[in-house]
Amino acid sequence: MMARKERACRVFSLLALGSLVFGSIAIATDGAEAGEVRITHSITGGAQKEALDSIIADFEKANPGIKIKQIVYDDDLYSDTGLITQLKSSSPPEIYFQWAGAPIGRDAREGFAMDLTAAMGEAGWKDSFIAPAFSAQMGAVNDGKPYLVPITLDVTNVIWYNKQLFKEAGIEVPKDWAALVDLTKKLSSSGKTPFVIGNQELWPLGNWASHIASRVVPPADYEAAFRLAKPFNTPDFEKALTLVDELRKAQGFNKDIAGLGADPAMNTFFQGAAVMHPIGSWLVSSAADLADKDFDYDEFNTPLIDPKHPLKDSVIGTLTGFAVGAKSANPQEALTFLRFFTTPENQVKWAEAGSFSPVKGVMEKAKLDPKTKAMADLLNTAQSLVPPPDTTYPVEVAEAYYQAAAYVAGGEKTPKDALIWLDDRVKGMRKQ
Amino acid sequence: MTGSGSGNHSTNSESATGAIRAGTTGILFVVPALVLYAAFVLWPLGSSVYYSMTDWDGIGQARWIGFANFERAFSDKIHLASYLHVSLYILGTLVFEVSFGLFMAVLLNSDRPGFATLRALFFSPVVLSMSAAGVLWTFVFDYRTGIINAALTNLGLAQWAQPWLSQPATALLCVMLVSGWKFAGLYMILFFAALRRIPRHLYEAARLEGAGALWCFFKITLPLLKQNVLVAVLLAVTGGFAGFDLFFTMTNGQPYNSTEVPATWIMKQAFDNDQLGYGIALTVILTTVVCLISLVYLRYAERGHVVEY
Repeated sequence: MMARKERACRVFSLLALGSLVFGSIAIATDGAEAGEVRITHSITGGAQKEALDSIIADFEKANPGIKIKQIVYDDDLYSDTGLITQLKSSSPPEIYFQWAGAPIGRDAREGFAMDLTAAMGEAGWKDSFIAPAFSAQMGAVNDGKPYLVPITLDVTNVIWYNKQLFKEAGIEVPKDWAALVDLTKKLSSSGKTPFVIGNQELWPLGNWASHIASRVVPPADYEAAFRLAKPFNTPDFEKALTLVDELRKAQGFNKDIAGLGADPAMNTFFQGAAVMHPIGSWLVSSAADLADKDFDYDEFNTPLIDPKHPLKDSVIGTLTGFAVGAKSANPQEALTFLRFFTTPENQVKWAEAGSFSPVKGVMEKAKLDPKTKAMADLLNTAQSLVPPPDTTYPVEVAEAYYQAAAYVAGGEKTPKDALIWLDDRVKGMRKQ
Repeated sequence: MTGSGSGNHSTNSESATGAIRAGTTGILFVVPALVLYAAFVLWPLGSSVYYSMTDWDGIGQARWIGFANFERAFSDKIHLASYLHVSLYILGTLVFEVSFGLFMAVLLNSDRPGFATLRALFFSPVVLSMSAAGVLWTFVFDYRTGIINAALTNLGLAQWAQPWLSQPATALLCVMLVSGWKFAGLYMILFFAALRRIPRHLYEAARLEGAGALWCFFKITLPLLKQNVLVAVLLAVTGGFAGFDLFFTMTNGQPYNSTEVPATWIMKQAFDNDQLGYGIALTVILTTVVCLISLVYLRYAERGHVVEY
């Protein structure tokens, strides 16, 4: 009796152990089924999601053998842990959304993204995109090889303004930096909040401050500083932060700049509680949901700072796209979908949902609302495109620069002290 | 004799076999737990220590760099300041959570009608999730649309309206207050349960001797609650070091890193800045600090176990 009990106990223990081991194996081997394309991204809603869903539905109708499965994450969660977890898993997704520049460069180096040279060479796929999409500067290419199928060009910072409040104050779009400071003074002295920025996460002001720096600091020195090859504490960077300080001294920024989130800041602008709001082109799609229908707004690029600077008319922008997982189960099906997604017909849908399509001729063909059209024109006419530091250089260095700019905008440090702090902060990073 | 000896031998042998069998069975029973413990505690602990000595972004190959991450951590001024902020926060929790919870427990320690409802109301924030509480209070503290500034403005005190979460002087205090609002009820319930176990006759005897309420509190209630207070303080201290949700939702370490605590800084370094190796090193330091404080504290608490009254 006892022996039987013992045997039963042993069998039970072994079963428990076995189920644990085999359970883990079963979880580990759960991947895409034949003909399934898993696409992971952070497009959670709005017009873009509707357009994507519609294109996917059309694709599945045209390709009955291929099923698309979307794995959607919130934006922050996606970039912090969502994508990493999937790429490191034993069954990485077939397609994943990624930023050009440092992120896709890292994926290429680590073998997560597929080299698309051969695929892009077929049937003139690469030639269907505008040339800047594959320029080295925009970062879809690593070591001369394309790793990203570009889907959207985003302007990461322009200055949006409330047309009604501009009119009431009798001011016009500034032609240069001095004019911007003047109108800031004029607005603040009349009791208005000239700029609202939600800088809790540092990038909203950081993007703008880095664009300003890119127009003041010689390009080689700018690049070298962010690559930690040269110090930040130079007269040129000091001049750049002094420009931010000029706006602070003119009482240009909202009092809660340091603690306000990016989304509440945008709402504040839509509510007419501030005259200007420096943020990216995605404001257009948010306005459709959040602003009153009669809310009249427009944008202007950061005005001229130094007429002699080679990037004096630059636009700060970034490229995003879809990468194909190098270790995914169904890469060919993934490429089939991406070719379908980037056909001019589908890209027109994509553009009409508020995206700047990098496919040739699409922006001309699409019926764009005036604001998206203005963004498209800004990109089309830009003499040069500057990428934001947090997608181009080591993120921790970009974040440190953003923090230095935040100190200046909040009056916590002088430009000089902020740069001393910045060099001290990045010193530890150099040791690695 | 022989027979008897042989019988003994046989009995010994059987009992030895039985012991071995029982031991084997015991081991088999323990194995699943051991495997789980090794998989979910020992292995992560060991690999954390290993990865803390690497330069790793969480995606690529980890590169061994020895103690460089720790060297960097001890010269990282924001990281060091985060321990000052969390210490201030813990002091705040001792006041707003533990002390206030004790105060409310004594105040609401009554069987009169309505007191149970009051206790339930006071306890109710505990059931809210931390993130929800954080987001809710962010609206309350909002500079333009928050209730606090609106109330001040309506009372004719518009000049007192502040960007509460956007200035270093008030941001940390706001987080402490919200933490107090959230957890004082929990400590109240802990202390209330302990208060109910104090014999009534002690108070009656003291009152017959002419003792007042304060004397009773400091000479009877507090000494008899000593163990509960020690546990509450330990919970507040260790919980404070692990504090993340409120800071993340209310200030995200801002303004100007003045509400940066170890947990928020670790998250930023590990995931926002793709420096998982460095983030893990910071976690190892935090774990060590919390373990040391807990050990010292528990040692002190055990010494003070005997109550004299």
